[in-house]
Amino acid sequence: MHLLRLELYKVLPYRTFWAILGIFMLLVFLIFYSVDSVTINNARLGSSYYQFPRIWLNLTYISSFFNTLLGILIIVLVADEYSFRTFRQQLIDGLSRVELVLAKFYVMLALASVATLFLLIIGFIFGVGSSIDTSVGSMMRHLDALFYYFVQAVGFMALAMLFGVILKKSGLAIISFVAYVLVLEPIIRSQIPDSIDKFFPTKVLSSLTPMPVQQMFDQATSPTELLSPGWALLPALLYIGLYLAASYLLLKLRDM
Amino acid sequence: MATVLDINGLSKRYGSIQALDALTLQVEEGSIYGLLGPNGSGKTTTLGMVLDVIRPSSGSFSWFGSPISKTTKKRVGALLETPNFYPYLTAKRNLQLVAHIKGADNASINNVLDLVGLGTRSNSPFKGFSLGMKQRLAIGAAMLKDPEVLVLDEPTNGLDPQGIAEVRDLILRIAAQGKTIILASHLLDEVEKVCTHMAVLRSGKLMASGSVGKIVSANEQVLITAPELAPVLQLLERLPYVLQFKPEKEGIVLTLDEGYTSLDINRDMFAQDIVLSQLIVRRKSLEAQFMEIIKN
Repeated sequence: MHLLRLELYKVLPYRTFWAILGIFMLLVFLIFYSVDSVTINNARLGSSYYQFPRIWLNLTYISSFFNTLLGILIIVLVADEYSFRTFRQQLIDGLSRVELVLAKFYVMLALASVATLFLLIIGFIFGVGSSIDTSVGSMMRHLDALFYYFVQAVGFMALAMLFGVILKKSGLAIISFVAYVLVLEPIIRSQIPDSIDKFFPTKVLSSLTPMPVQQMFDQATSPTELLSPGWALLPALLYIGLYLAASYLLLKLRDM
Repeated sequence: MATVLDINGLSKRYGSIQALDALTLQVEEGSIYGLLGPNGSGKTTTLGMVLDVIRPSSGSFSWFGSPISKTTKKRVGALLETPNFYPYLTAKRNLQLVAHIKGADNASINNVLDLVGLGTRSNSPFKGFSLGMKQRLAIGAAMLKDPEVLVLDEPTNGLDPQGIAEVRDLILRIAAQGKTIILASHLLDEVEKVCTHMAVLRSGKLMASGSVGKIVSANEQVLITAPELAPVLQLLERLPYVLQFKPEKEGIVLTLDEGYTSLDINRDMFAQDIVLSQLIVRRKSLEAQFMEIIKN
């Protein structure tokens, strides 16, 4: 709590923080809102898309694309600590390197909680508005998708922090992070058999919120092998631990 | 007196550059210790290592007899190289953050702001501050939690004369509270005005260390003249504590060994029936002294 409060002192008055968080929420809302008008096979996706309990799978899948934004936010916060030399000052003032990493980890947990709560709210709003079956049982089924989404968000942010700690400069770190997640890893994966590449960092994280209509695609095109969300959980947590440990080691081994 | 900081054979190497070469020194409680040297002589590297932000290549140090830890950090307030704050936060909020880390209570924030003369600007964002104000805020932040030791790295660097005077005055006021201060500077004048002890660094090597009086007086010169110069020069040859003498236009310039003063010269001359017509204690200019110390 001590460390989380410290981080809140830093970010609550910070406009950049609110701007990025606001953009994230706005984009998630807009995309989810406009999915309504997508038509497949002459049927509007809308009515079925917002139905409990499938809405949770759809919502977390769509939102997963915007985890990169949360990652960028973390990179900005980490790179700031370098450019303001406040990591250095906080070490002098009494924090340890473990605490520097832990403090940022708590920010990730807080941000992932906010994002998950946001999905929960808009999920209920859209769901209640257009579901036929609004029984509690139906609403709650697949609610675990939100939990997997939470872990996924933390995972992307932990990876982003590692980029921030390695590169120190926000621009460079953001570009490298986005390039790795969206371009580099997919290219590497395309050269590697599915049975192995399903354990790759961003693929594991993506497996936590799979495309709800995957089965449909699998029948139409060649199937891609994915871990189920339940199976992806353990490797995802291991990766998060690895990113945090690597960030700590870099702080420990390099001069600040 | 207790040793506050004990540095033992501390070295730092950056690639092919030896930034600090086996530095050993002790800072005693209650002293104002000046770390003097030209830019790039290893002052900031030394302080960075003892403040836990630069990894030593070899050697060790201890604070209050223990290795550095959360406990020792709480007893030391430090300003290293630049004032480091969040530019978008106000002075007060920046200090709140530091107070939170150090476990200082919020009431002390206003005291510290007043101490460094920023009470009226406490709600302005840090980014709008002048360099002098930033520097003073950093000293204020270092003063939170009332540390026993204050480490200041070039606290007057880049300030205008008024800012320099303000910061020096502040340091002396803090020192008057009985705190130990470690001050890095490239200005001999500053160290001499403020410090009780000093160490001189050049290219990462310790050139001299000890009390300021001793180091500075070792560089005092005595100028003598007499109606008859020949017997004077003969006598000077035989006096063991005269390290150097050089006849110049205005008289003979002597450099004396440590612990000897113009008194000894006068007495010995008189004992040999030589009456001096002039006896002047002359200090070399500060810059000349400094150059001499770092040359040897």
